[in-house]
Amino acid sequence: MEAKLWSALQAVLNGVLTGSLYALIGMGMALIFGVMRIVNFAHGAFLMVGMYATYVLFDRYHVTPYLGFVVAAGLLFVIGVGFYRGLLRRVDERSHFMQILLTLGVALILTDGAQLVFGADYHKANIPLLDDHLRIGAITLNAPWVLSFGITVVLATGMFLLVMKTRFGRALRAIAQNRYAASLMGIDVLRTQALAFGLGLAAVGFAGGLLLPVFYLYPDVGEAYTGKAFVMVVLGGMGSIEGAAIAGVVLGIVESLTSLYWGNEWALAVDFALFLLVLSLRPSGLFGSQRV
Amino acid sequence: MTRRRVALAAAAFGLCLLVPAFVQQDYQLNVLFRVFLFAALGLAWNLVGGYAGQLSLGHAAYFGIGAYGLVLFHDRLAAPLPVAMALGIIVAVAAAFVIGRVAFRLRGPYFALATIAFAELVRLSAKNVHSLTNGDVGLQAPELFVEDRSRWFYWSAVALTALAFTVTALIARSRFGYQLQAIREDEDTAIACGIDPARTKLLALLISAALTAAGGALNASLFYYVVPDPILGIDVSNKIAIVAMLGGAGTLTGPIVGAVLLEISGEVFKNVFHEAHRLIYGGLIVVIVLFLPEGIVGAVAGWWRRRRS
Repeated sequence: MEAKLWSALQAVLNGVLTGSLYALIGMGMALIFGVMRIVNFAHGAFLMVGMYATYVLFDRYHVTPYLGFVVAAGLLFVIGVGFYRGLLRRVDERSHFMQILLTLGVALILTDGAQLVFGADYHKANIPLLDDHLRIGAITLNAPWVLSFGITVVLATGMFLLVMKTRFGRALRAIAQNRYAASLMGIDVLRTQALAFGLGLAAVGFAGGLLLPVFYLYPDVGEAYTGKAFVMVVLGGMGSIEGAAIAGVVLGIVESLTSLYWGNEWALAVDFALFLLVLSLRPSGLFGSQRV
Repeated sequence: MTRRRVALAAAAFGLCLLVPAFVQQDYQLNVLFRVFLFAALGLAWNLVGGYAGQLSLGHAAYFGIGAYGLVLFHDRLAAPLPVAMALGIIVAVAAAFVIGRVAFRLRGPYFALATIAFAELVRLSAKNVHSLTNGDVGLQAPELFVEDRSRWFYWSAVALTALAFTVTALIARSRFGYQLQAIREDEDTAIACGIDPARTKLLALLISAALTAAGGALNASLFYYVVPDPILGIDVSNKIAIVAMLGGAGTLTGPIVGAVLLEISGEVFKNVFHEAHRLIYGGLIVVIVLFLPEGIVGAVAGWWRRRRS
């Protein structure tokens, strides 16, 4: 009985650690989809780009992923601003239909581009930290996960404050409420939107860099995360940054418990089932009400 | 449709039936099979995605259910092949009913996301319920045609396309078709005009799912095997949508044009680039969105209208 309890607790804690990285990915999507209302089907593909960027730094220049992830985030910020200004802006005010198609197209190009450049092989960044564990009673936690959890808490708090407390964040939320009125109030809509998209991708870049040491890397690695990111935004309530973060942790725990009791292969299915349940029963999300 | 256009369409499909007289290699016939298969799937998708304007990115579910239905009803219940295929189509329609009831309450991106979620649930179930589907190993599909199979499969794909084309042509000019288009243009106004969007969209989805499932059964039987990822994966859903939109969503001939272009170019690029052929789809989609938002047929029709006026 006690052993069962410990293994459940272990699963929950593992879920929290995985969930913290999900939270980062979800917060990026909350900015892009929740606040800006851009349906970004390339979210996972950008995560993959962040992972490969960190991997190249590690493999060629021996930069540890715990430094490389900052570079990956910077790179994705620049890509995000460029992508918004160059392509997305043109379909921003057209239908969601077009946004979905455009980002889907870009996702395919990125994924197969990565396959052309790096091949379909699996890569892994082997760092010494991987062998370290934290032991508390019967609980064992892998050191890289604990480290990335700490980093994620700092980043997520920073991002929340940026969107809720700064002038930039207020401008962004004003645009989300009424783009036209915002521009009349002297807000540079294009610049703010481009920065916000960049920020959303930077979050994904951070997450990608932090995922690298604990995951295998291959061109399709991001695919599952696009779906998960949408699940988190809907679960957390559209437009709620902190809601998406909480939803990320919840998703991590749910997946971890699903793996423990039903098997790993059902984890993704539970995500989607949860998503459909929330969409049909409580469209405003599980946590908090819908707001911008 | 004027009588002349009907004659033209009938003549075109008649000519397509004659192709095996000139093309005899199995490989080429199989490529042509896929052209017509995706033309039919694109036409089926077009009813929901084009005429009703509901972006379904989960049509792989019906395609896959049609395939698994044929295999499972034949293997487990010893149903004769046509009956097994029909039962598979019925299951796909039933699935479409459930999916539509939930998803059509949602609008815009949420609808698209819900269709993906449903298709993924079907795929993951097919992967994980080993006792029924044999998981990733897959099941062997029965042969619908044994003798002269490449030809017969080609002919049946042409027939399916002709069926989907006829159904679309009839719907497009019917009260039902106009209701679909009214919903696409403005759902609230459509409601104000006395249209029941939920029922109308659902009916379109049921017809679409039936045609898609028939295509899935044909495809599975030609390629001998049903395996979850290649037939239920999100790539299948995307491809079906892209075929229709490349040619022109909401146009009668668009999906056929799209299928010809995408399959032939895909086949060429596959031989040149090998594994990275999705790059081409991606590039094509970006080009459509930026330069041809109404698809090839839509763009040509617009150009023609402007020239005549």
